[in-house]
Amino acid sequence: MKIITSWLAGAALALIAGMSSAASTGNTIATVDPEADRLALQAYFQKRFPEVELADYGNGIYALDAASRAQWEELEEFPPYEFDIEEGEELFNTPFANGKSYADCFENGGIGVRQNFPYWSEQQDQVVTLELAINQCRTANGEKKLGWKKGKIAQISAYMAFTSAGELIDIKVPNDKAKAAYLDGKAQFYSRRGQLNMSCANCHLQGVNIPIRADRTGPTLGHVTHFPVFRSKWGALGTLHRRYGGCQNNVRGTALKAQGEEYRNLEFFMSYMSNGLAVNGPGSRK
Amino acid sequence: MNKYLPLVAALVLSSSTVAAQSFEDVFNAQRALHGNGHAFTFEGEQYTTDHPEELEAAAPANATNAKALIASAKAMHAEVKAVGYDWTLTKGILKNASKALKAGDFQKAMNLAAQAKYHARMGVAQYHNSKQSWLNMVPE
Repeated sequence: MKIITSWLAGAALALIAGMSSAASTGNTIATVDPEADRLALQAYFQKRFPEVELADYGNGIYALDAASRAQWEELEEFPPYEFDIEEGEELFNTPFANGKSYADCFENGGIGVRQNFPYWSEQQDQVVTLELAINQCRTANGEKKLGWKKGKIAQISAYMAFTSAGELIDIKVPNDKAKAAYLDGKAQFYSRRGQLNMSCANCHLQGVNIPIRADRTGPTLGHVTHFPVFRSKWGALGTLHRRYGGCQNNVRGTALKAQGEEYRNLEFFMSYMSNGLAVNGPGSRK
Repeated sequence: MNKYLPLVAALVLSSSTVAAQSFEDVFNAQRALHGNGHAFTFEGEQYTTDHPEELEAAAPANATNAKALIASAKAMHAEVKAVGYDWTLTKGILKNASKALKAGDFQKAMNLAAQAKYHARMGVAQYHNSKQSWLNMVPE
């Protein structure tokens, strides 16, 4: 109870300190300004955690909490995702039945491209995430789709992220349709859901680094840079949309479909927020 | 004088708070204090702290009423699912309501259906509320 009280008090203080009503960053296509949103989000975190370097936000909660960081650094000495990267590389390089491979579907043969995903596809009229592109590549070449949340798709995604290490996230919102998708993702992020009536922002903005039992929630700034992640709780690698579903279940809301429009738009918004931060996936988390 | 300041402030604040309170605020406060079945007055009218679904579940416990309540709960559940604001427990509660109906435990079936319908109605309300209020959470 004490912990819950402290969390609520902390969240309330953070809310009062960093928020004001009716943000000027917009809630319509005409007024929404992704770059202003990104700068405001950065400013919010820099005000709350002035000692943390912006580039370190890619390390999630480990950028903020020294004790957690020490444990994580020990874990990273023998990264639990190492074999997944190797298996991902093998899967990536194994030709399809028609002789083509993943490399034929992506720019630069799929090497060092993670930072450009998700992107707005004019042709498809939707946000295309890396995992969606991987499965689209498969079906275009006569192969069956992979499951969205774990296993092979996460391994391939992990390998592709690994080849992109250090590249800076570079998401673009090129037109009004893309803006609409971005705005939808933004609204998703800040909307309360589930029986616990909580939004993504409640934990990953206002609730950042405040203890919830033995854990502390990580900042949304830099959230996407290290996915897919090997979570100790899962004992395996998982995609960002797997995590979205888990978060939603945690607040007693029924998870939406992985790679459905809502989660892809949410990823689009969150990735834009991390523009300029380096890809450092796959990562390991509790 | 100073020792009376908190009292004055409290009186001023409480009177302004009461004036600003909506029916929903008063209902929720009374419900939190007394649970269901409690009578209270709002703007001269008498109300109880029961949710509409609880009043539905208070109808005579029989197969017809249980079936009707389960059907309306399922309809509300479909509505909340359509907007993507379904809560995790609702589906299971509805299943248990149908099981209780099958077993002939009509009161249990009605209570569970009422609970599921309440969850679903709150999910729909949450959806509409979120659409109005999400922007207030955005940092500037």
